[in-house]
Amino acid sequence: MADIAAPHQFGNILLGGRGGTNPGQLRINPVGFYWRKIGGGKEVEVPKNEISSLSWTRVPKGYQLGVKLKAGQDVKFNGFREQDMTSLSTYITVNMGIAPEDKPLAISGRNWGDAVLEGNSLAFTVGGKHAFDVSIPDVAQTQMQGKNEVVLEFHVDDTTGANEKDTLMELSFHIPSTNTSYVGDEEHP
Amino acid sequence: GHGDGQGSAKSTNDITAYRNVDDIPSRELMIQVDQKNEAVLLPIYGSLVPFHIATIKSVSSQQDGGHSYIRIIFNVPGAGFGPNDMPSQKFPRAIYVKEVSFRSNDTRHSNQVVQLIKTLRRQVAQRESEKAERAT
Repeated sequence: MADIAAPHQFGNILLGGRGGTNPGQLRINPVGFYWRKIGGGKEVEVPKNEISSLSWTRVPKGYQLGVKLKAGQDVKFNGFREQDMTSLSTYITVNMGIAPEDKPLAISGRNWGDAVLEGNSLAFTVGGKHAFDVSIPDVAQTQMQGKNEVVLEFHVDDTTGANEKDTLMELSFHIPSTNTSYVGDEEHP
Repeated sequence: GHGDGQGSAKSTNDITAYRNVDDIPSRELMIQVDQKNEAVLLPIYGSLVPFHIATIKSVSSQQDGGHSYIRIIFNVPGAGFGPNDMPSQKFPRAIYVKEVSFRSNDTRHSNQVVQLIKTLRRQVAQRESEKAERAT
């Protein structure tokens, strides 16, 4: 019988970021997560005590594990299979005392919803489901255009995933005058 | 899928690109056009985010140095959506994605997706206007 606290290791887990994803190895043990890019160059270490919440999202052809940090960042690991999700959920709940939540993906294709600032990330939800989020520290500049449009410009320099074809450079939101709250409203998760 | 029930191309009721995550044909992180489900998939922060073609107002590309830039403008209230079926009436507190721009390092790919998006927009608009004509 295997040790219940024995680390789980995955050979091909993609770390998501603005420029795309990077393949790497992910090691999960009772004290946290450690991801290392294949071929080296980038490491991500998330100690358990820095985690605020965990979530599973069903994505095309697999599952994504979202790790939200108390400091605000959102770390995303892609490439889990259904059986990984099931066994990892149990492992994480037992060994870390955090139960991953279900976070369904918005797939209706609508462009209207809610923008919620959570720590360092701005999440866009459609019909209460998660559509995408962007990281505020990557935003080089924000601008108001007219009274209703907020433009986010992202840093040009991107070292996280230079291998990807398409990189998000700019994103703007239209906030109708009928909306009385503001995109910058703080909402605590 | 799609079909009856759709009033006009700009109707918001039936904007549903996918019902199941498994219907999304690919997970490759680049701009893609899904003709079957009439959706454009955009890579945003490591996720592939679908946008129904009816939400897209225009698309353009531009070359600059070794890169090409793709800009997609979405329909927002006051422009694009029909006056009686604006999501703003149903969802007054909603916030809209208005515009995204991507830098692409593959000119052929960016030209191709821009062309595909334009074609799909045209096809869907034409079908919907024919349908509206038949209905009158």
